[in-house]
Amino acid sequence: MLLIAILAIPLVGAIAVALMPRKDEQGARHMGMVFTLLTFFVSLALIAGFKISDPGMQFEFSVPWVRSLGINFHVGIDGISLWLVLLATLLGPIVMLSTYKAIDTRVKEFVASLLILEMAMIGALVSLDLFVFYVFWEIMLVPMYLMIGVWGHGAKIYAALKFVLYTLVGSLVMLVAIIYVYVSHGAATGFYTFDYMVLTQSVWGEQAQIFLFLAFAIAFAIKVPMFPLHTWLPDAHTQAPTAGSVILAGVLLKMGTYGFIRFAIPLFPYGAAVWAPYISGLAVIGIIYGALVAYAQKDAKKLVAYSSVSHLGFVMLGLMAMNEAGVTGSLYQMLNHGISTGGLFLAIGMLYERRHTHELDQFGGLWRRMPVFAGMFMIIMLSSAGLPGLNGFVGEFLILVGAFTHHQGVAGTDLPIFIWHSRLMAGIAAIGVVLGAVYLLHLYQKLMFGPITQPKNADLDDASWREILTFAPLIVLIFAMGIYPKPFLERMEPAVKLFLKEYKVKYKASEGYTGQQPKQLASLSRSKYALPALSAPRAGIVAKTTMAGGKAVSPKVPKIVRPKIVPPKVVRPKIVRPKVRPRGGAAPAPRTPRKRISPEDMRRIRRQMQQRGRPPGRGGRGGAG
Amino acid sequence: MSFSLNPADFVHLAPVLFLTVWACLVLLASAIGGGHGRHYGLLAILGLILSGLGVALSWVQHVQPATDLFAGMMVVDRFALFLDMIFIIAGILTALVADAYLEEHRFTEGEFFALLLLSISGMMMMVHAGDLVMFVIGLETMSLAIYALVASWPGQRRSAEAGFKYFLMGAVASAFLLYGIALLYGVTGTTNLAKLAGVINGKAGEPLVLVGMFMILGAMGFKVALVPFHMWTPDAYEGAPTPVTGFMAAAVKAAGFGALLRLVAGLFSADAWTFGSTGWINIFWVLSVLTMTIGNISALRQNNVKRMLAYSSIAHAGYLLIGVVVVGLDPSQMGAVLFYVVAYAVTTLGAFAVVAWIGSRDVERTTLEDWYGVAKHHPAVALAMMLFLFSLGGLPPTAGFFAKFYLFKAALSFDSPQMLTLVLIAIANSVVSMYYYLRPIVAMYFREGASAPKPLTSFSVYWVLGITSALVLILGMAPDATLAWAAQALMGG
Repeated sequence: MLLIAILAIPLVGAIAVALMPRKDEQGARHMGMVFTLLTFFVSLALIAGFKISDPGMQFEFSVPWVRSLGINFHVGIDGISLWLVLLATLLGPIVMLSTYKAIDTRVKEFVASLLILEMAMIGALVSLDLFVFYVFWEIMLVPMYLMIGVWGHGAKIYAALKFVLYTLVGSLVMLVAIIYVYVSHGAATGFYTFDYMVLTQSVWGEQAQIFLFLAFAIAFAIKVPMFPLHTWLPDAHTQAPTAGSVILAGVLLKMGTYGFIRFAIPLFPYGAAVWAPYISGLAVIGIIYGALVAYAQKDAKKLVAYSSVSHLGFVMLGLMAMNEAGVTGSLYQMLNHGISTGGLFLAIGMLYERRHTHELDQFGGLWRRMPVFAGMFMIIMLSSAGLPGLNGFVGEFLILVGAFTHHQGVAGTDLPIFIWHSRLMAGIAAIGVVLGAVYLLHLYQKLMFGPITQPKNADLDDASWREILTFAPLIVLIFAMGIYPKPFLERMEPAVKLFLKEYKVKYKASEGYTGQQPKQLASLSRSKYALPALSAPRAGIVAKTTMAGGKAVSPKVPKIVRPKIVPPKVVRPKIVRPKVRPRGGAAPAPRTPRKRISPEDMRRIRRQMQQRGRPPGRGGRGGAG
Repeated sequence: MSFSLNPADFVHLAPVLFLTVWACLVLLASAIGGGHGRHYGLLAILGLILSGLGVALSWVQHVQPATDLFAGMMVVDRFALFLDMIFIIAGILTALVADAYLEEHRFTEGEFFALLLLSISGMMMMVHAGDLVMFVIGLETMSLAIYALVASWPGQRRSAEAGFKYFLMGAVASAFLLYGIALLYGVTGTTNLAKLAGVINGKAGEPLVLVGMFMILGAMGFKVALVPFHMWTPDAYEGAPTPVTGFMAAAVKAAGFGALLRLVAGLFSADAWTFGSTGWINIFWVLSVLTMTIGNISALRQNNVKRMLAYSSIAHAGYLLIGVVVVGLDPSQMGAVLFYVVAYAVTTLGAFAVVAWIGSRDVERTTLEDWYGVAKHHPAVALAMMLFLFSLGGLPPTAGFFAKFYLFKAALSFDSPQMLTLVLIAIANSVVSMYYYLRPIVAMYFREGASAPKPLTSFSVYWVLGITSALVLILGMAPDATLAWAAQALMGG
């Protein structure tokens, strides 16, 4: 229920803001601030209630949504998504605060878009049903599109269009893959469901996994964005308003990497293993290429945008290492990137508010005029560059360690070529760390040091209290995460370990499996909501396989007392049921079958309709065992 | 053929007959009461609601597969009743928009609504037809009324031209249809769909049968605007009064697809449906690809919103053909097509209501430049239009998304590479279509308008916008009830 509240608050806020009078701009801003802060404080309860040693899903909630298709509104978080959700809720009020001066047209619409965007991002991070995930994933597009198009500058229409079309290409391919997963899983087991916790208990054949992983990977790689698919990012970032850039860099890009770790890799481990060397290759290209192009930029915002390409290359590299250091590091780096790059965009946005330009040449020597601002900027910049003691270092270090010991324990790694591949990748990526320092210091030097060349810079105001307040939480986090990462890492660790363990089990199970249909693994259940009883079975089809229910939990998975969660309520929407009995008691006169529906078919359809009327879960499942 | 007139059969047809009589009443009322400024639309809506109640009653009663009327001339089954309901709802929404629109543009009102009701009764006959002769009668009743509606704009040359063009080409299509039916009758000796289905299986290879079926297919292709037969669509849609355009896109298309599905189930031979042989399915497959691709690509460069939506309706006919292929392979998947028809009808009615709303007397304001800055002056309408466009493009959480998803799901459930290819082509088309669906949004939201538009500030139009946007959201987020109805709307037999 807590997660539902976190989803509902921004939505209610958006509606409330939309109903406010148009003229009351300050009121709309305050309203947005109240609702984003409220979301943040409620989300803090997630940390309080989070069971550190529980690797599975927590705060789960599931309610049937579209019964006839087996779609459940299933949400929940584990150590992987916990911090990303908090990052999203934290950036909400920060972004809101940063727009008090920057956005002065159509404020009401802006605040409503921001709140909808926040809801969609959280929704995508917490949903455990592929259909629900897809819906939130697509809803994210719309407010971002409006943000770039309405409140952006320059070639905003082009950038907004490019953003939407790029993302849409990937996500529609993913939609086909999702439907394929749903249909084939349903055909094999008799349970038509989009529930991730059910689907993840099955493995598909080698061939299918290769294509399905690719379909998911394209969608996620565009969002990350990975090297050859990154071209929408600099446009979107440069033309977007500051708030849009911060959200984009802070959370939206993480959706891609999160999609890999939550959906693509666990569902298709064999496909992941096949593509991993190529993906890490592209990640390394992205690291170096992003860094070099960033260095060449004359526009500060573009520079930071390309730095995102480079940083997310690190995240992908760590993820594709599929070992504990690498995955933990990349999760950590996702948070770091959200904080430090979000902070960089905020800082550049503040300069833009003062000077209305992003050109590096227009600045210089700001250190003397704005010492407070420059100091805060420096901390964020150094965090982004990975200075030891700040958060960026922890993530990058873990990733490089992980990448160096690529794919431990999974087939293929004993071949020398794979060992050398991973060492080479890690080696090149390490150069990327140096290059990162180069372009970031270059940025800082151009903006802050040297003499004041432009007369306009001579009388700039230092950071206001509002701006200091905007930066404060970020700076606190940069130090906290750099000096004492334990509270963050210890919550990630169990989930990452489980992720890797299941990855290995499922990889072994799918290796050499060439069947057309997915097969189920009994040892992998972790959610009591994943019981097939909750997902409406398709009428008329008797389950061939008994699902791994709650009782079949693997003994290796530590049994943990769960926090009190709402029991699985079977909320049954009223559906008009077909009355299939013949009218008036008399059997209809036997008609010559004139269409291609044979009497057998007709009987089958009638039987299906009758069964659909029954309470789900009883008819199909029990009968099989 | 023994022919006995069973009085009880008339009861089953009450909604159709009632609508026809009501149309005459509306005409009579306008003859007595004069042409302008009287809200005959409300009278028409009353008739539609009464007829709709009859349809609903019939739906509750017809749980059995089908009832044959007049010795198989007509059929009452839930499939037809479901479509009847779509026509009636589309008629009510169109009448609401037209009520304000006609007054603004100085139409003579009585005939307009009488023709609207007559065309709906024609559609109902068409989808209830159990015999090709009845089918032609229904089709012609509908078409003649629509030709007149297209040309009904007083003093507008474009409207007259569109109506004339549509009429001429429609007449040719009708001729083909009749010729095709005559050929089939010559070979099989019957025009009854149920009997044809039995006889034709053995004669699928005969040249006369093939020619006849191709002619019927071509004529149907004309009515629902499939690609080689789509040339009339943009002109007719652009020239027609906007409420009529919306009605054509929603109801005429639904009627055409309803009839096509009935023909597919009854006429086109079952054996020839499987892939591999050069069966009918391949023809529908190719038509689907052509229709959606050419429809979408032609829409890309349109600066006129009305014309763009016309091409978009062609593209959607292509998506719907995926459903026809699916139903041809497995008739129990009918729900996917019908849900798509509902979703598209609701969305497109809403979109055309916005197009009708924005124009004022003498200025239609349909080019994209006319839409600049609408969001600033009328945020609610702009929001509604954005919703409709996203629904047409298939973004969640709208009706269009769920319909597309459901259709793709049905198509992919066959696990055949041809269907996968078809879905992938449809996906590529969806991306292309998003480009032009975003253009009005760009105009409304991202551009500054030179002058504020002076739209129709009539409550009836706002009602329509409210109802359609609510339906778009409901169908997208809580589709359960409609899915259940669509799944029950099976053809009899």
